[in-house]
Amino acid sequence: MEYKEIFISAVQALKINKMRTSLTMLGIIIGITAVILIYSIGQGAVKFITDELASFGTDYFQINPGSSQLSAIAGSTSLTFDDLEAIRNDTSLTNIRNIAPFAMTSVKVQANDEEDEYLIYGSTHEAVEIFRPEMVYGDFLTEEQTLGSEKVAVIGTKVSENFFGENTNPVGETIRINNRIYRITGMLNSSSALAGGFLNNSLFIPIDAVTNEIVGEERLQEIDISVYDQNSINQTIEDVEALLRDQHNLDEDDENDFQISSAQDILSTVQTITGLLTAMIVGISGISLVVGGVGVMNIMLVSVTERTKEIGLLKAIGAKQKDILTQFLMESVVMTLLGGLMGILLGTTGAYAISKIANIPFVVSIPAILIAVGVSTLVGIVFGLYPARRAARLSPIDALRYE
Amino acid sequence: MPKKIPLIELSNIVKEYPIGDNEVYRALDGIDLTIHEGEFVAIMGPSGSGKSTLMHILGALDIPTKGNFILKKKNISSYTEDQLAEIRNREIGFVFQSFNLLPRTTVQKNVEKPMIYAGISQKERTERALAALEKVGIAEKAGNLSNRISGGQIQRVAIARALVMNPSIILADEPTGNLDSKTSHEIMKFIEELNNDGKTIIIITHEHDIAAFAKRVIKLVDGKIVSDRENGKKLNGI
Repeated sequence: MEYKEIFISAVQALKINKMRTSLTMLGIIIGITAVILIYSIGQGAVKFITDELASFGTDYFQINPGSSQLSAIAGSTSLTFDDLEAIRNDTSLTNIRNIAPFAMTSVKVQANDEEDEYLIYGSTHEAVEIFRPEMVYGDFLTEEQTLGSEKVAVIGTKVSENFFGENTNPVGETIRINNRIYRITGMLNSSSALAGGFLNNSLFIPIDAVTNEIVGEERLQEIDISVYDQNSINQTIEDVEALLRDQHNLDEDDENDFQISSAQDILSTVQTITGLLTAMIVGISGISLVVGGVGVMNIMLVSVTERTKEIGLLKAIGAKQKDILTQFLMESVVMTLLGGLMGILLGTTGAYAISKIANIPFVVSIPAILIAVGVSTLVGIVFGLYPARRAARLSPIDALRYE
Repeated sequence: MPKKIPLIELSNIVKEYPIGDNEVYRALDGIDLTIHEGEFVAIMGPSGSGKSTLMHILGALDIPTKGNFILKKKNISSYTEDQLAEIRNREIGFVFQSFNLLPRTTVQKNVEKPMIYAGISQKERTERALAALEKVGIAEKAGNLSNRISGGQIQRVAIARALVMNPSIILADEPTGNLDSKTSHEIMKFIEELNNDGKTIIIITHEHDIAAFAKRVIKLVDGKIVSDRENGKKLNGI
């Protein structure tokens, strides 16, 4: 018997009870929608983070003081200029391309008769190599300016907007930071969704100005290091770690009093979280699919009973067991597959809408769609098999006599 | 009687059904019956006489507990369910009393159905279905849904479907049971014409005026043939 004929009969049979068919499909629709939606958003989030990290480059890592991420903010003093110099002067660390130290603090900033509190980054000319901001006006801090500890500042685009208005070139203007006058030499903008938030809202001045004049203490909140060869970044991290442990006179069983994290660490953390989330949702959806499948089985059993006489008639005119089996199996598969396709459509549409709202990339996963198609077909076969076999094994006389 | 080619040979057919643990009910008790090609046979009997059981055996819907059923020189008494399905598909055209057609399916699709199981191509199916509907005089209803036609038309479609595979036997089980007398007469006239064209017809009925169309009448009581005679023109004696 031709599959086209079986398919047409199946669709006709399902159309007779549209409401019943739709309700039965609902379980499958919900399960597949959830899987596609969560998977797509998860992939979108991973892509978002990956793209962000790629804009910085995955060729760098950062060192923060203290044994936990928060101790840097809490004012840990374990990272010093001596550490910076030790790394700079170690000739065995050939993979290091740029080292940028950061001393940060939050102070009052005044210009144009306005006052606001901003984050000040004390850094060197090398920071530009790490952050790679777009210089809208002027230039980033130069080597000369940082060495001479000049009273110059590079401001973020939001800072500039606040004091000088939109689309205004602030280069040449003056600004008071902690009651000292600085000359603005550049304005930067970062389009990165992650880093832009704080880069565009900060000011950059030579590092010595922060440590000597604002904080009054020689401590660093961060050292950023970029490398030539990304592939051996982990080796470089290990070397730097060993060097710093040596610097800090740590014994073998002492924990690090500093933190090293790389872009790849962040990426793998995000991937782990998304992976766990996806696995969890897939598990929950799996339950929904089983429940949906049981619904399909139930309805198919009802259908077999309702159509007993029809089965008898078909057997009388020559339908073999296989013909009846395929007929009923086709009906359950059409039902679950249609549910699956609707789930794919809903899930993808939902993922698209959420990606627009959350401003993350929209990812359509072809493997996920193919798996969804496969799984919904499988649910139809697995849960349709028992009712279909029952139909196929009916004796023609019993079926014809059924009232 | 036409040419003496045996189409059906039943010998000592016994059909028993289990009732309870060790008891059986004997629905057919040693039936011997030979039907030749081109015959028009009516099987009569009161309810419980075994005529339905005999119809099931003759229609290859069931196999006998004992005895042999030779159809076109093949002993089909021990055929499997699927082998019987093939016999029903190719050798027997059924016309039932009720529920003859698939609901919500067109008349043409209904007639095509046996050909689908026989693996005949769509093009040939359409041609043969339309020709069969033409023959029963209902070709214009080909596209109608089966639940949108009258009782007499339904029986005609059933006959068209029974004919479409060109089977050896047309087996009709109370084919006029649900029809008024005028329509019944029309349908029986039509079946008679088919027999005049050489089709072998077996009809199960409890109505004498329906049996009157047959050329041979077999009467069953308690699972045994109690009378088997030519109808001819004399109708007395039943």
